[in-house]
Amino acid sequence: MELIERYLQAVGFWLPKTQKQDILAELSEDIRSEVEDKESALDRKLTDAEVENILKSRGSPIMVANRYLPQQHLIGPVLFPIYRLVLKMAFLFYAIPWLAVWLCISSYIPSYHAQTPGDFIVGALHGLWVVVLYTFASVTFGFAVLEKYALKSGFLEKWNPRNLPSLRAANRIKRSNSITEIVALVVTCIWWVSFMLSPVMVNRPDVRIVLAPAWRYYSWWIVALIAVTIATSFLNLLRPYWTRFRAGMRLATDSIGWGMFAWLCKTNIVAEIAVRNVSPEKTLQITNAINFWMGRSFPIIVVIGIAIALMDIYRIFRVKTGPNSCLGGLASICGMSASL
Amino acid sequence: MKNSIKTDDGAGIYENLRLELRRGCLIVAVLAQLKTERYGYTLRKALADDGLEIDESTLYPLLRRLETQGLLASEWREEDKRNKRFYKLSPEGRKILKQLLEEWRSINASLERILHEE
Repeated sequence: MELIERYLQAVGFWLPKTQKQDILAELSEDIRSEVEDKESALDRKLTDAEVENILKSRGSPIMVANRYLPQQHLIGPVLFPIYRLVLKMAFLFYAIPWLAVWLCISSYIPSYHAQTPGDFIVGALHGLWVVVLYTFASVTFGFAVLEKYALKSGFLEKWNPRNLPSLRAANRIKRSNSITEIVALVVTCIWWVSFMLSPVMVNRPDVRIVLAPAWRYYSWWIVALIAVTIATSFLNLLRPYWTRFRAGMRLATDSIGWGMFAWLCKTNIVAEIAVRNVSPEKTLQITNAINFWMGRSFPIIVVIGIAIALMDIYRIFRVKTGPNSCLGGLASICGMSASL
Repeated sequence: MKNSIKTDDGAGIYENLRLELRRGCLIVAVLAQLKTERYGYTLRKALADDGLEIDESTLYPLLRRLETQGLLASEWREEDKRNKRFYKLSPEGRKILKQLLEEWRSINASLERILHEE
């Protein structure tokens, strides 16, 4: 019978003090009744192995005790889907941008430079781990407080079907977006053609800034790209749904535009700066510094360009497969706008 | 096929649904059995004899919950030289049992009609 006492002691460990004795007394009585029943059926004392089987059939002590404990949770089933969504959003819009900013800082600011690639990876992982941990902890804490105090106020019951978001149409293009695009591009185009075609940016008696000859090619390419984008935006205004052709055109213009910008960064674009009362050595230093930092910006421009191209590719995929694909579902979870 | 269920998952789903179906029925059965005063072990045996096996780790927490809700009354008493806790349906429990049985009969009748239509 020592086995039974040990079993009861193990169950009792997990029970709340206020109910412990009461529960154990009843459990003990039940086990002993079962043992007695079996002994009278067999007409002999049970062996240790048989008692062991009886206890095993009742389940492990922690499981048995758990049945008596109130069901507890930090975040319950009502709030859990919202909690999960907020966590995803927090990681997407906080942790990932943080990582991108950290990578930029550690690449460009000498005091943050790592001595070895190993140090760089360890530093990045350590920083990311802290950010992820704080994000997770603060979101969880917030929802735990909501679960404990705010859920009882019934705030989730206060809703109106009229306030629900309008139906999503993933491939629809908002007319207001197209109009804004056209106006902005026309203004930019006029400004560009009026002031930006010549490599001589500033030519005043006191200041002269001249860009490299490569600027001529670049500026005309920009005019061409703006013209194509205006045409596409007009089509979008008339037929406000993405088609594969127009989505493909947007991919092409974005890729060419960002590709050329990246190329521009590498061409030592500032050829000459002359300022009255400033020594040529000083202006040369400024020219070199601008060209140097333009060159250092190359990876950032490439990354931004790739990100935009990926969104454009995703749009083509979405047009092809329809808004109900799994990626469409992912986009809606991530809160991505239909007008991307 | 997209909507097909693997055999293992099917068994798991069946088990979950079976437990869900049993849960409510067990409460009614326990309340009905406790029209007569019993202690835990004899209650379990009586249920098993009538075809409703229930393990002790389900029964005792259930008895406690029903007592906390005021549907059962209990008292410790000595029987056969051992202290045992005897449970009995309270007046409130009797009223609730009557309502639950009406509901159960109504569900049963609806199910019978639905199954008959099939």
